[in-house]
Amino acid sequence: MASLFTTLFAPPRRHHLDVIAGMWLPVIVVLFIILFFTFTTDAFMTLRNLRAISGQASALLLACLGATFVVLMGSIDLSVGAIVLLVGAITVNAINALGLGVEALAVGILIGALLGTVNGVIFAYGKIPSFVVTLGSLSIFTGAAWELLQGRAIRYDSADFENLAIGQLIPFVQNIGLFAIGAWLMMVFVCFKTRFGRYMFIIGGGEAVARTTGIPVRRYKVMAFALSGMMAGLAGALAVARLGTAGPTLGQDLLLNSLAAIVVGGTSLSGGVGGVHRTLIGVLIIALLDNGLNLMGVNQYSQMMVKGAVVIAAVLVGQDRSKSVVMK
Amino acid sequence: MNDSTPVLRVRDLTKRYGDNTVLDRVSIEVGRHEIVGIVGENGAGKTTLFNILSGVVEADSGQVELNGQEIDPRDYHSATLLGISRVFQEQALIPNIKVYENLLLSHEALFTRALQFIDGGKMIAAAEAIVREGGLDIDVTRRTSDYSFSKRQLIEIARACLVPSMVLGIEHPVVLLDEPTAALEKSDEERFFDLMKRLKARGSLVFVSHRLTEILEACDTVYVLKDGKLVARLRAAEANEHMLHGLMVGRERDADYYHEGEQRDVSDQAVVFQTEGLSSAGRYSDVSLEVYAGEVLGIGGLLDSGKSEFGKGAMGIVAPDRGTVTLSGHPAHRPEVRDLVGKGVGYVPAERLTEGMISPFPLAWNVTMASGGDIFANRLGIWRSQHEIDVTERSIELLKIKADHAKVPCERLSGGNQQKVVLARWLCRPLKVLILDNPTRGVDAGAKEEIYQLIRGLTADGVAVILITDDLLELIGLSNRIAIMQRGRVAKTVAAAPDGKPSERQLIELMLSSDAKVAGSRGPRAAEYAEAVVA
Repeated sequence: MASLFTTLFAPPRRHHLDVIAGMWLPVIVVLFIILFFTFTTDAFMTLRNLRAISGQASALLLACLGATFVVLMGSIDLSVGAIVLLVGAITVNAINALGLGVEALAVGILIGALLGTVNGVIFAYGKIPSFVVTLGSLSIFTGAAWELLQGRAIRYDSADFENLAIGQLIPFVQNIGLFAIGAWLMMVFVCFKTRFGRYMFIIGGGEAVARTTGIPVRRYKVMAFALSGMMAGLAGALAVARLGTAGPTLGQDLLLNSLAAIVVGGTSLSGGVGGVHRTLIGVLIIALLDNGLNLMGVNQYSQMMVKGAVVIAAVLVGQDRSKSVVMK
Repeated sequence: MNDSTPVLRVRDLTKRYGDNTVLDRVSIEVGRHEIVGIVGENGAGKTTLFNILSGVVEADSGQVELNGQEIDPRDYHSATLLGISRVFQEQALIPNIKVYENLLLSHEALFTRALQFIDGGKMIAAAEAIVREGGLDIDVTRRTSDYSFSKRQLIEIARACLVPSMVLGIEHPVVLLDEPTAALEKSDEERFFDLMKRLKARGSLVFVSHRLTEILEACDTVYVLKDGKLVARLRAAEANEHMLHGLMVGRERDADYYHEGEQRDVSDQAVVFQTEGLSSAGRYSDVSLEVYAGEVLGIGGLLDSGKSEFGKGAMGIVAPDRGTVTLSGHPAHRPEVRDLVGKGVGYVPAERLTEGMISPFPLAWNVTMASGGDIFANRLGIWRSQHEIDVTERSIELLKIKADHAKVPCERLSGGNQQKVVLARWLCRPLKVLILDNPTRGVDAGAKEEIYQLIRGLTADGVAVILITDDLLELIGLSNRIAIMQRGRVAKTVAAAPDGKPSERQLIELMLSSDAKVAGSRGPRAAEYAEAVVA
């Protein structure tokens, strides 16, 4: 009897509350934030504002979908915002110099993938920690972009290109939102239904194990950074299309926001835990907070403080840290 | 308290990992100013005993008494403060700091001035006193990494031996030495034994070594451990190596357990896998072995024999410096994991939890891990999830893995079932060669036999198996031939037909004999011993 009892009623391995926290807490937080701002501000639940939120959230989501894979495999990509900026600067110049329209999107994606590949190759083959590589490239890319922009915001004139982001294929929904949701669905598929996605989990969960099974670890590391760069490139091009210009502050808040969205969503910085699907929730939390705090009249500086606290709180609550011995 | 009470008394110490009892009611006593030796095979429980005494792991039951008082150190530092210090098998010195900083590491608080600033001068003076007392010729203000590995080992021994009495004021410290001479150069060995004598005047020592000559020369009392049990306590003066060998081994081997009847005669078979001159500096050198279809080639040796490292090298996981591997039908080439996996070679590492599997991941993921390139993803890289589940469920059934479904996280399985998952990873592929490193470590007896049966099943299908193991009975029972490695080289290959299996004792002597040969200059006893082995 005793054995039957223990099999049936044995407590789950991890504390029940932890499991709930890990899976559903982010969703609950999103709902809470929506309710909170709905009741505290008049402007929050308006069509106009929802459109604004979806625009911001879309740009952020596009930018950090690829980077989620990098985090999933246990590395970090700090250069996402810098790639968005550099790609934005190059795209604007390409449109103006070559008279490109919609094709400029392809230019953005390609340049982004190229920049990401450079990150990945230096990281994987130079055996330099990804934090250092992308901290360096963050500075290089930003400098290069400012060089191109000469410190000014550059406009372009192509209604076609602009339409890519702010046109409405479906009434009331900006195209950039369609891009974001489309890209999200695609990346969720990549994450859970492809070899690439599986290998990201395996490399993040146990690189030493991956090596003994013959998984080409370095190649996949490069691919992850290339994808991160490519998605940042797409985000950069579409951000330019949405704003009508590329200025020196483009992508500035992405350094914190992209990592915050990934981590708040529940993809662990230690690798192997989480997934691209969760990044959507993280993005919503960050975008809703940004927007709602603005509407409440909270100033920029206090907003930064709130966001920082949210990131730390998310990691504190959401992750199982019981097994980690060393924290770096 | 008089001089005849033991300084350290261990009673009925027991430690289990899962179903595996690694220490079974072991009791030892260490007298004042006594040097106690502990011998036993790999896995006999020596290191576990040290781990418990030095507070690194906790015993399941039993008592440890120091100076008549029961102690229960919760970590290494508190054990040190109580008076038990230890020299670890792997060096624990920090290379990029000064020697004196290492010597007094974690005791800096005793050398402070006002406002807790560290008084370097005082530390240097104390460290100099320690090396002087230890008879070492070392400048304590130099960087630790300036000294050779062997010299650093002496520094570490001096630290463990002399800091307790000279710095912490412990009256009669007990020092645990785990294979302290393995890393010593010939010229430093004298100094080591000199150091031990000096320490004996201050405290007691417990000394683990595979070099039985050393044990017999240096120790007063010798304890023999076997399979976690204490089998003998001898006065060193009354013992000899042959006696110790006999006590360390000598178990009954059950031929059925190892399915010896199913061992294949491979005399008409072809070589499937061959290594030629495989070398890796400091690990193994010039290893040339071949294995036939349907054969189990056993590789045995002490922990520092380089056998596991060779396994990793042959698979290309840690690329060797020189040498090639040849698979039948392919030209010789440098080993490279992905290439070998593709050609039908599998590898099961010894460290299951860090190299063998990702335990939080589902069972299915761990099974399909090596086959993402060819079986479980299509040409476009789309994962064949249904196929993955089907294959995993079939593996669960065939290998009798105790798991409810294919998506159970591996961390919920027992050691034996986890190991079956790692084996399933290779069984779902067309396999020609399987390299196993300690495949039954941490596996209960029932699952062990199932794994043996599996190995026999593989050889019946013509798979060549390379079995690297510390378990002597398993080595003898399963292998067609046994290669014994010593210090990175194949010392001898012994035939092990079902009707002509070597004894444990023969193998142990082969594993140890180089020590005797190297130690030939150490005295007539060692030379005599070397002759006995050669004869």
